[in-house]
Amino acid sequence: MTARLIMKLRVEKMRYTTPDVLHLQLVHPLRPTLPEWSAGAHVDLRMPDGRVRQYSLCGDPEDGSRYEIAIKREATGRGGSIWAHENIREGSEVHISAPRNNLPLSVEGERYILIAGGIGITPLLSMARSLRRWGKDFTLHHCARSASEAPLLAELEAICGPSLQCWYSGTGPRFDPAAIGPYHENTHVYICGPQRLLDAVQSALSAWPEDHVHSEVFQMTVDENFKPEPFEATVASTGQRFLVPADRSLLDVLRENDYAMPSSCEMGLCGSCECGYRDGVVLHRDKVLPTSRRQDRLMLCVSRARVSVTLDL
Amino acid sequence: MDVHSSHRPPPRMTEAFEHPAGSIAARKAGGATQWRGKLLHIHVAPSASYEMEERHEAECVAGRGIVGDRYYEGTGTYSPKPDVREVTLIEQEALDALSRNDPPLQAGAIALEPRDHRRNLTVTGVPLNHLVGRRFRVGEVILRGGRLNFPCKYLEELLGLPVFLPLYNRSGLNCGIERGGIIRPGDVIELLDQ
Repeated sequence: MTARLIMKLRVEKMRYTTPDVLHLQLVHPLRPTLPEWSAGAHVDLRMPDGRVRQYSLCGDPEDGSRYEIAIKREATGRGGSIWAHENIREGSEVHISAPRNNLPLSVEGERYILIAGGIGITPLLSMARSLRRWGKDFTLHHCARSASEAPLLAELEAICGPSLQCWYSGTGPRFDPAAIGPYHENTHVYICGPQRLLDAVQSALSAWPEDHVHSEVFQMTVDENFKPEPFEATVASTGQRFLVPADRSLLDVLRENDYAMPSSCEMGLCGSCECGYRDGVVLHRDKVLPTSRRQDRLMLCVSRARVSVTLDL
Repeated sequence: MDVHSSHRPPPRMTEAFEHPAGSIAARKAGGATQWRGKLLHIHVAPSASYEMEERHEAECVAGRGIVGDRYYEGTGTYSPKPDVREVTLIEQEALDALSRNDPPLQAGAIALEPRDHRRNLTVTGVPLNHLVGRRFRVGEVILRGGRLNFPCKYLEELLGLPVFLPLYNRSGLNCGIERGGIIRPGDVIELLDQ
């Protein structure tokens, strides 16, 4: 897990790109240029209570003066987007990390197919900007319910021109991944959107070479067989004991008790909240810790225990 | 936005002259004495990994740190490990050497600005490596040198700059605060009697 600088940026411009998607332009109040990034990168947005959410940068990677992000209000989400919609205004200060790229755009391809579902358009918009600049052949499939619900449509039309294909499920045919067809040499596919879109595209492209089909997981793969049970956590240094209810994480409970624990994705993917433990049977559930370290390390966001665990805090 | 928790207990600190390095050095004479330095910059960060922010005035609290800094708040990267971290200092002369690529350890010069090195005080004319186990004043504030600062890989990651090796042995000084007060850039820094 690479440490990243956190900056207090100012919201220079804010507008709704659809009724529920907020598009923000962020600048540094003291520095003319922000840390560099490349298409596909995301930043962390830190909320005052310590929660962190990831947002892909959707602006121009060549423009070092600002970051652009778009935040969809997710009424049934984990609360981050609602906080952002209710609290962020033009002139607000927002705490943003330096960018990281888990979905880098290959420079070696000759042809690119970008497939976005809804708000998944954000990293692909910055990719379209780069591909246009590099003079590459690309098609961007933008799937949304309707034109008025398609985020960043005006920007997409301006940048992509005829390379943009919109698929509005409310009025016309849905995007059909089978239409992509067999693998062509030097073609790369980038997908960002809901899990069902990822699954559909990945199964349609199952015969493609793996390193030519790229997607980013911002959502934990749900294990339907896992049923969380309450357990007790003991803090080794103080002897404090906390009950972790079935619907709360270790991270939640520690924070409620004034332990300022770092975290980022809170889905067992990023490794920020790694913590040592001494005894107890731990149900790890994360996707980052190698087996060799699981005997004494866990991830506070998703790891749980049978009956009890003692944390090295 | 407030990144601090208002009801967090004060962080645990190691008293500078109780640190293994500071306690041994405090009992031994030696080191440079004929110098008089100056405070150039004050920087604090509200929490771990946050950018450093420049202050034109700062309050030092004995036994705790600089008001508003992550080690005063207990929210620093290394806060969970008690140590001498109330105030950290670094020499402007070390930063100047990095900007000349001296010694030439790297491919080229490194511009490590006062706002980027993550030590609290940037000073000039102060032989920090001679001040472990020594008392000295910064304006009205009295500091105790506890141990030499050591460069960390964390800083390299944050900055994306290869600063670990060139900062080796000139990464600054970690101090405790014996007498608190207000400090400002321009304050005189002088050695005090033991």
